[in-house]
Amino acid sequence: MIWVETLINGALLGGLYALLGIGLALVFGVMRVVNIAHGEFMVLSAFCAVLLSSLFPQVPPLLMLIPVIALSFAVGWLYQAVIVNRVVTSPDPLSPLLLTFGVSVILRNVMVEVFGADVRSLQVGELSRASLEIAGLNIGIMPLLTLVLAALLFMALQLVLRHTEFGRIVRATADRRDIVRLSGVKPDRVYNYVMGLSLALGAIGGVLLAVRSSFTPFSGAERLLIAFEVVVLGGLGSFWGALLGGIALGMAQLIGLKIDPNAGLLYAHLLFFIMLLIRPSGLVSSRV
Amino acid sequence: MPTRTLLLACCIVLIAVIAGAPFVLNEGFLRLATECLLLLTMAQMWNLLAGYAGLVSLGHQVFIAFGAYALFLTSGWLEVTPIWVLPVAPLVAAAVAAIIAFPLFRLRDAYFSIAMWVFAEIIGAFTMKSQAVGGTSGVPLATSKLIDFDWFEPTMFWLAGGLTLVTIAALYKMMTSSFGLGLMSVRDNDLAAMSVGVDVRHNRFIAFVLSAAGCGLAGALSFMGNLFIAPLAAFDVNWSVYMMFIVIIGGIGTLEGPILGVIIFFGLRELMTGPLGLSGGWYLVGLGILAVVVMIVAPRGIWPALRDRLGVRLLDVHRAAPRPATATIPPGVSERVTG
Repeated sequence: MIWVETLINGALLGGLYALLGIGLALVFGVMRVVNIAHGEFMVLSAFCAVLLSSLFPQVPPLLMLIPVIALSFAVGWLYQAVIVNRVVTSPDPLSPLLLTFGVSVILRNVMVEVFGADVRSLQVGELSRASLEIAGLNIGIMPLLTLVLAALLFMALQLVLRHTEFGRIVRATADRRDIVRLSGVKPDRVYNYVMGLSLALGAIGGVLLAVRSSFTPFSGAERLLIAFEVVVLGGLGSFWGALLGGIALGMAQLIGLKIDPNAGLLYAHLLFFIMLLIRPSGLVSSRV
Repeated sequence: MPTRTLLLACCIVLIAVIAGAPFVLNEGFLRLATECLLLLTMAQMWNLLAGYAGLVSLGHQVFIAFGAYALFLTSGWLEVTPIWVLPVAPLVAAAVAAIIAFPLFRLRDAYFSIAMWVFAEIIGAFTMKSQAVGGTSGVPLATSKLIDFDWFEPTMFWLAGGLTLVTIAALYKMMTSSFGLGLMSVRDNDLAAMSVGVDVRHNRFIAFVLSAAGCGLAGALSFMGNLFIAPLAAFDVNWSVYMMFIVIIGGIGTLEGPILGVIIFFGLRELMTGPLGLSGGWYLVGLGILAVVVMIVAPRGIWPALRDRLGVRLLDVHRAAPRPATATIPPGVSERVTG
């Protein structure tokens, strides 16, 4: 019974991990850039939420998601417009990788200097401890809500990309950046919106993860690695794949923690590495 | 050839300077110089992989850690002065690289970079769990009592200086050989390189293993100087950050670039943490901003931009395309070919 509970909790955690990965997948699918600074932006949004909730203690902390998402969208838009767009068409595929890695180092150290290296978390009071009892299984309300939210967001994203004009423009830009210009689309501007959307999704994941576990300015690296593993395990470009990848990683992590309480992310990393060995064909990329 | 004589003369002067430096410099300065030289070697090794083989590794700290732990453990088991077991460090790092290359070489570009990072995280986590190698608290150098501390700093400096000179000379030799030409052709256009018979995988494999071996040796020397090793320091992703920033700022894919990069790296550090009184975090922010600006303004780095402007060539491994033999070209097309 305890193992069933572990598996269910792992799956719920997986919903959160999928949220971490989806922003990364979106940017990669549209502009072929792995945004290494994605994890740092998530941590930054968590710091913003903590800061806002200490400024306005009477407002429920989860409502802080709304301003933080808006802020993250703006930051993403600017980040793409000012920095990433300058290398996105570089003939060398490594330029965006190195550039975003440089940005991640800057962000991490600015956060260390501004917020200090202390361990933080976002307190949501009763909600974080509330749980449901179904057939003798203890299931947390907060993780359950997170998984539902992740599934809803995935559906919404799918709908937007499939059936709206914005979605068509994004997909067309992902396919042929040079050809969409003939229809009056400015690819750089589409990229700005996509990066904004990606960081807004990252902010949701970042803030919810800050509720679940504590963070420091150095947490960005592990958030990025989890996000990347989710995307690769799920098969690039597939949103539902990302959800499955997240669930697999969440289960691996919680089973690992049951066996060995201070394992951290080791078992999630191991699962990823073993999958690389036995199923490299699953790594073949496809577009959004 | 005059350039050859010039290089040889430079080499002799440098050897003399390195041999004499410990008698002139004080201990603190000598330590700093040793650190500079070791980081320069690591940056050259990272550059061999990124600048010449086109593989960006974000997990190169794992080879530094493997080299350093190999040195500490073997020296402890055999109970000999650590200097005599130094060759173990590059061998272990190279062996690890040769094994890990098989799964990793299936991946390209960013996948390779991040999978390397995940690999480093996994090994780091196992090291912290294993009590045999000291767990999270790390291990001191068991044979440090065998070291002659009167000559320790100068010896470390000589080893670091020798390693740096040998590395740069070997890289120069390699890049002017047919292997180097093959490597650079893969970087510039792998499809074209394959079509003229260059074995892409084989070239990348050799560059990867050599790069790991060099980092292993430099890492072993670095931690030997500290007489202590702990996993948080050995598996620190900042090793990769430093190597990358030095190469990017100085000039990726050139031998002179990392030299310039190391000068900027340490110059900025001494300036910002010394006279300006800023913390190490702000220093990394400054360095990161410099790297990002360089990547946007001069994507090949500062040295190539300077070189083109000044027309200076030091350790240049570029080759001019052979001039078409005028006699064999029909008069009608010769203008198009040469123009």
